[in-house]
Amino acid sequence: MTRDSYRMTTMPIPTTPRRMSPAKRRENLYGYLFMLPWLLGFLGLFVGPGLYSLYLSFTKYDVLSKPEFIGLKNYVDMFTKDDLFWPSLLRTAYYAGVSVPLSVLGSMFLAILLNTKLRGITIYRTLFFMPSLVPLVASVVLFKVLLNSDFGLVNQGLRGLGVENPPGWFADSNWAVPSLIMMRLWGSLGGTQMIIFLAGLQGIPTEMYDAAAIDGASSWQKTRYVTIPLLTPTIFFNTVLGVIGALQTFAAAFIATEGGPGFATWFFALHIWKQAFDYFNMGYAAALAWFFAILIVVLTLIQMRLSRRLVFYYGE
Amino acid sequence: MKNNISRRQFMRAFGATAVAGTLAACAPPPAAPAGQPAAGTDKTSAAPAAGGDKVKLKWDTFRGPGTGWNEERIKTFVEKNPNVEIEFRPLTGASQQDNYGKMYAQFAAGDLGDVIAFDPSHFHFWRAINKNIIGPLDDLVAADKTDLKQWFDQFIGLQYFNGKLFGLPSWGWAGQDTMVINKVHLDEAGIAPPDAKAYTTSMDTYAEWARKLYKKGERYGLGTTYDEGHLVTLTRAFNGDLIDAEGKKCLLATDKNAQEALRWAYKLAVEEKVLPRPADVASMDAALLDGKLGIMWGGSLNMRNFKRDIAANKAKAKAEAAQGLLPIRKDGKPPSQIRGGTWNILKDSKHQAEAFQFIKHITSLEGAIGFNLVAGQGAFVRPDVLQELVKKDAVHDGFIPNLQNGIPAHAPSNSRGREYTDACVQWATKMMDPNENIPFEKGLQDLNDNIQKVLDMEPA
Repeated sequence: MTRDSYRMTTMPIPTTPRRMSPAKRRENLYGYLFMLPWLLGFLGLFVGPGLYSLYLSFTKYDVLSKPEFIGLKNYVDMFTKDDLFWPSLLRTAYYAGVSVPLSVLGSMFLAILLNTKLRGITIYRTLFFMPSLVPLVASVVLFKVLLNSDFGLVNQGLRGLGVENPPGWFADSNWAVPSLIMMRLWGSLGGTQMIIFLAGLQGIPTEMYDAAAIDGASSWQKTRYVTIPLLTPTIFFNTVLGVIGALQTFAAAFIATEGGPGFATWFFALHIWKQAFDYFNMGYAAALAWFFAILIVVLTLIQMRLSRRLVFYYGE
Repeated sequence: MKNNISRRQFMRAFGATAVAGTLAACAPPPAAPAGQPAAGTDKTSAAPAAGGDKVKLKWDTFRGPGTGWNEERIKTFVEKNPNVEIEFRPLTGASQQDNYGKMYAQFAAGDLGDVIAFDPSHFHFWRAINKNIIGPLDDLVAADKTDLKQWFDQFIGLQYFNGKLFGLPSWGWAGQDTMVINKVHLDEAGIAPPDAKAYTTSMDTYAEWARKLYKKGERYGLGTTYDEGHLVTLTRAFNGDLIDAEGKKCLLATDKNAQEALRWAYKLAVEEKVLPRPADVASMDAALLDGKLGIMWGGSLNMRNFKRDIAANKAKAKAEAAQGLLPIRKDGKPPSQIRGGTWNILKDSKHQAEAFQFIKHITSLEGAIGFNLVAGQGAFVRPDVLQELVKKDAVHDGFIPNLQNGIPAHAPSNSRGREYTDACVQWATKMMDPNENIPFEKGLQDLNDNIQKVLDMEPA
């Protein structure tokens, strides 16, 4: 029986509209009133500007003059005339492609380690969590000092180990993105992702491990055949959020390198920001932003589709 | 009768109202017709408002907030002009450039102050004129008989566009015209420091010093960046220029002198690797104080700040300040780029006369000195200010010739200054990155082509 036919055969069809009782009406009204602040914010600060930016994406607009409708020109130009469009998109993909797997796997590994019943485990958890509390600007300053190509602690250490020409890190166009990835990993491995993994780990029923133990499973086999499959919903959740966050990366590159050296950290979000708030090509920036939003939605849908095959929900 | 509101009806009605309201709020108000002053505009009279009401001026600026300078200027002005009230509205964007976006949005919303600043050296001056945000001051100057000679010609020159005066000078200096030297490092290397007022040290000598002072893993000999200001002065130090005076053509592909300048830097940065890698030094000033830099290619303001910081015991290593000037050009001009700010009046301000008196007040001798000493800016725009500053610190004496004879900055004719600065810094950085190892000719061509691409854009 389909869900619709079930509904048709079992649900009574009202013949006349029922009057709502005064108490119910009052309750509804309060409900709407409590929703109102959120609705106002959602519509006024998100839906409204979003729709307006969609309109702007079909215009030439510099804040100072009226928007001039130009059809699809902005969308055509981004693919055909913008020298920084593809490089910044590929650079962003590279950043996300490397940083998300490392960050998700690293957080999961840390969470598994910190899920053991060790004495003083809460202290370890706190210590690992602490870097995620450091403000981004402070992290940037710290890493710029550590990774200075000549005087930095890291390169001094590498030279001490016999590496004659250590990387230039932020100052080296080939190493600037990896430097940002390292900085992100330092701040995120023990952060929120790890906490979510810990919660996921603690949600795995202990009887599964008991059953595995009775079957003679080793620690590795328990991890491989119990922990990881039951953790796939958490891995999926962290991956989706991680990909969205990594694709939107902006602040670290803006503060650390301002897109340089030589465009090496000119990510897509920075490109949008530059077009909008530095060059005042608002219409073009809106088109870039809408393209990017659609791209992120498509990528998320692909992940959702893949999750049907790869994610195991216990109890379903 | 059915009198309850369904969830769907509520959401539909509310959504439609909110979206309509938001769209209406986002739409820009109609701009005033170009060239037409707003009703009530009085361009020549400073008489009190009719009916004895006080004239209310709004002052929007990111210059000085938190230092007390703005409040002091308002207080002293209002004491002399009791018919005027001034509302000081500080702009506090994360960077100077952020504030221009805010001012454009204020203008679009019809809420931009009467007294504002769209600095030529931040490349917003011309856009503000073209978009009718700021208006010419010539009538006000004539009516007031203002003596424009009280400012250096160079900085008054920056305020003109198409023969009309659009502002009075605020901050200003001669650009990256100075080598700020830690004399202790020169002494260690057995090099006699240059005469602070002589233009006799050649670029080859500076290159030689850069090599001598460089100590791998310990200290850079010479620190420079590759932003537009440095690139311009670098090319001018070799008798060339980066772009033409009209702001339409990049000269790197055709000007042999400009090419020689770039080759000088390329040799030190890429081939000999004695300059800091681009983006490796977050702050040249800090590196100089830390003893990690022997010479910083900067400007008069950096020189003053270095001396000030040494006196305040901020130097982490042993430091002593010395100044070196760039070699004089064949045309007799010192390699420099006159950079400066402005104070403007909103074109549609109803209180032009009062606003003009106020910008005269903040650019006066007292105003400019306060700007230098209290707000910590480099307002070297008036000869009398320099005389006062020399009394406090003789280092200012060395700045005067370049302020008098410096070469003006050239800006893109299409008001694409921000794109221009990004093209300069990103492509020059790429070229000068020793890790990229881009051949000189290719780096030069890429830099030239990408700057030219910006200059060829349609006007902003």
